[in-house]
Amino acid sequence: MNTEKKFRIHISGDKLVLLAANVAVFILFTALNKNFLTVANMINILIAASLVGLVAVGHTYLIIAGQNDLSPGSLAAFSGVLAALLVSKGIPFFAAVLLTIMCGVLVGAFNAFMVNKIRLEAFIATLVTQSIIRGFAFIICGGKPVSVSDKTFVALGKARVFYVPVAVWIMIICIVIFGIILAKTKFGRSIYAIGGNQDAARLAGLNPQRIITICYTMMGVLCSIGGIIFAARMNSGQPSANVNLEFDAITAVILGGVSFVGGVGDTGGTVLGIILIQAFNTGLIMVNVPTFWHYVARGGLLLFALTSDYMRKQKREKDLLAASMKNL
Amino acid sequence: MTYHFRHMPANKFGIIDTGKANEMAAKIIEDFGLPIHPAMKVKDLSIVYQQMVEIMKAYSRENLKVICFDAPTASLSDSEIEMLFKIIVKLKAEGKIIIYVSHRMDEIQRITDKVAIFKDGHYVDTVKTGVVPEDEMIRMMVGRDLGDIYKDLDRDKEIGDVLLEVKNVSSDYVKENSFVLHKGEVLGFSGLVGAGRTELMRAIIGADAMRTGEVFLEGKSILNRSPHEAMEHGIVLVPEDRKMQGILANLSVSDNINISLLDQNSDKLGFVSREKEAKAAEEGIRNFKIKTPSPDKKIVELSGGNQQKCIVARWISTNPKVLILDEPTKGIDVGAKSEFYQMICQFAKQGLGVILISSELPEVIGLSDRIIVMKSLKIVGEVDGAEATESKLLSLGMIGEVREA
Repeated sequence: MNTEKKFRIHISGDKLVLLAANVAVFILFTALNKNFLTVANMINILIAASLVGLVAVGHTYLIIAGQNDLSPGSLAAFSGVLAALLVSKGIPFFAAVLLTIMCGVLVGAFNAFMVNKIRLEAFIATLVTQSIIRGFAFIICGGKPVSVSDKTFVALGKARVFYVPVAVWIMIICIVIFGIILAKTKFGRSIYAIGGNQDAARLAGLNPQRIITICYTMMGVLCSIGGIIFAARMNSGQPSANVNLEFDAITAVILGGVSFVGGVGDTGGTVLGIILIQAFNTGLIMVNVPTFWHYVARGGLLLFALTSDYMRKQKREKDLLAASMKNL
Repeated sequence: MTYHFRHMPANKFGIIDTGKANEMAAKIIEDFGLPIHPAMKVKDLSIVYQQMVEIMKAYSRENLKVICFDAPTASLSDSEIEMLFKIIVKLKAEGKIIIYVSHRMDEIQRITDKVAIFKDGHYVDTVKTGVVPEDEMIRMMVGRDLGDIYKDLDRDKEIGDVLLEVKNVSSDYVKENSFVLHKGEVLGFSGLVGAGRTELMRAIIGADAMRTGEVFLEGKSILNRSPHEAMEHGIVLVPEDRKMQGILANLSVSDNINISLLDQNSDKLGFVSREKEAKAAEEGIRNFKIKTPSPDKKIVELSGGNQQKCIVARWISTNPKVLILDEPTKGIDVGAKSEFYQMICQFAKQGLGVILISSELPEVIGLSDRIIVMKSLKIVGEVDGAEATESKLLSLGMIGEVREA
């Protein structure tokens, strides 16, 4: 019992650091621009985070499972264009959404196929998809953005419930549901197990390939939903949108304590990571940092995330060594 | 392989003279009398030769005085151990100091002059090899007299009906093999490292795809396309490589015990019951005397023996019919070993069919009712446990027939 207590405090120790980083970012940008810490701006940050948030949830699953995905940006753009196109061709909104999500499932399944059956590295496999799907995003609309005029579609981007935009609600609901699945269910346990060691997990009676397939298709669904909402917010499906989306999502997830080693991390950390990265991105715009420098700053943030991941890993190993010495 | 040596000949620009490096390597290889070419890649060598390369690397240093071997024979077969010992004798003759860490008594007896004994992380004493008898040394290591650990075991000689029948099973890694296992039987598998014992078991449980053959459990034909299906049929494997294939290093003791029970421990929606998991973990820890301060401890923090007990607890909690143990006592201290031996006998008594793969001959002989010997991916013979001797098993495993000395 006692050790369990200690263990919890230890986890929240990592979270505290992240929370402190969040506070620091908020204080910094508030000091530079008084309008940063306002309710309207907080809502803006949440809206901007709604797409990254969905993708980051998918990445939390995938990276804990020892996988990765570089295709979300392309898939989100493709989904936005496809949904807008289908609706403009007279297909009812909900049918269009369903068809688009089914495409997302197929793309996810294709990623899983490459990783499971062709045995490609996740990074390389999903780089393939990134390029192919971006291509199709341009191909299906002839390279021109498809405007959205359907009322329900537009409302998806604009409507608010209890002052909070629907887009944000959808993100919150997804985070809560997928967070609970990861923490409490058989499926969630299996993800941690295969992320730590796929061979051992398979010999223990799990089915890593099936679990990986579910994670990738889930990511496909999340990207499609996110892409549709993004198109709704922009009033058009844009084939060139969401470049580097996966970059932000991965940064958020790693900041949140998920490790590239696999088998480590949780959804709570990811939430803090999402808030941090979106506050950072929004802040850069508000204090008038030139756009080109945003790339440099984001790279810096990712470097910071990776370094802290490395340091956490070192610490874990050191703790382990100390503990096993004590056990003798 | 050349590139493995630390002190590379280089010109003043730091460019390595490959020809000269190869020459130097060739000379050392010749000194050691090994059939390796300097330009071969280390990864293409067998494990024993890889180890030889490591030794030669150390040897190539001019100021070499002490070489430490840390359990060097763990993954070597008997003939390979002979090769290693020849090298050690050669190094010793040249005046090098050898520190040889091992828990294999016979090796220590053969190769050492003095033995420093440690127990639970503490130094006990240094004794002269040959002066202090083996059982005395074991007593110092475990703090108690093991006696003849095999004789004292609570063996159940009653063997039941045929439980598992394996007919012409082969995979990409092992040739066609057939054998039967009875209820309550401990069936030993002997042979050299690489004889195909592990590979045969992996084919049976579906870890590797079965290419030919059929498996019958209690007379019914079954098909295991994955370890999961094998588990559902009641055939489970405790793998040889505990670190890489057994434990889930990032998870706790409780999670490691419960990982194969996820179906039983969760409700229809897939939610895992913490109470059920806690109960199963507690049972496992109690039944197998796993030494851990808490079920929530990370499994890697436990000693090797206790980690192995967690894996056994994991499988026993699924109520298997056939338990396959692949080198279960590898890298485990003497005290924990005897606990495992008692466990194995207990399992057989409870009616399980136990398959015991072991490269330690006294272990297979001491525990098994029957012993199957494999050589070059084929079963070459079967020896009754009571009639088995080390020389019988060795000659079967090495030349494929029994030639009593």
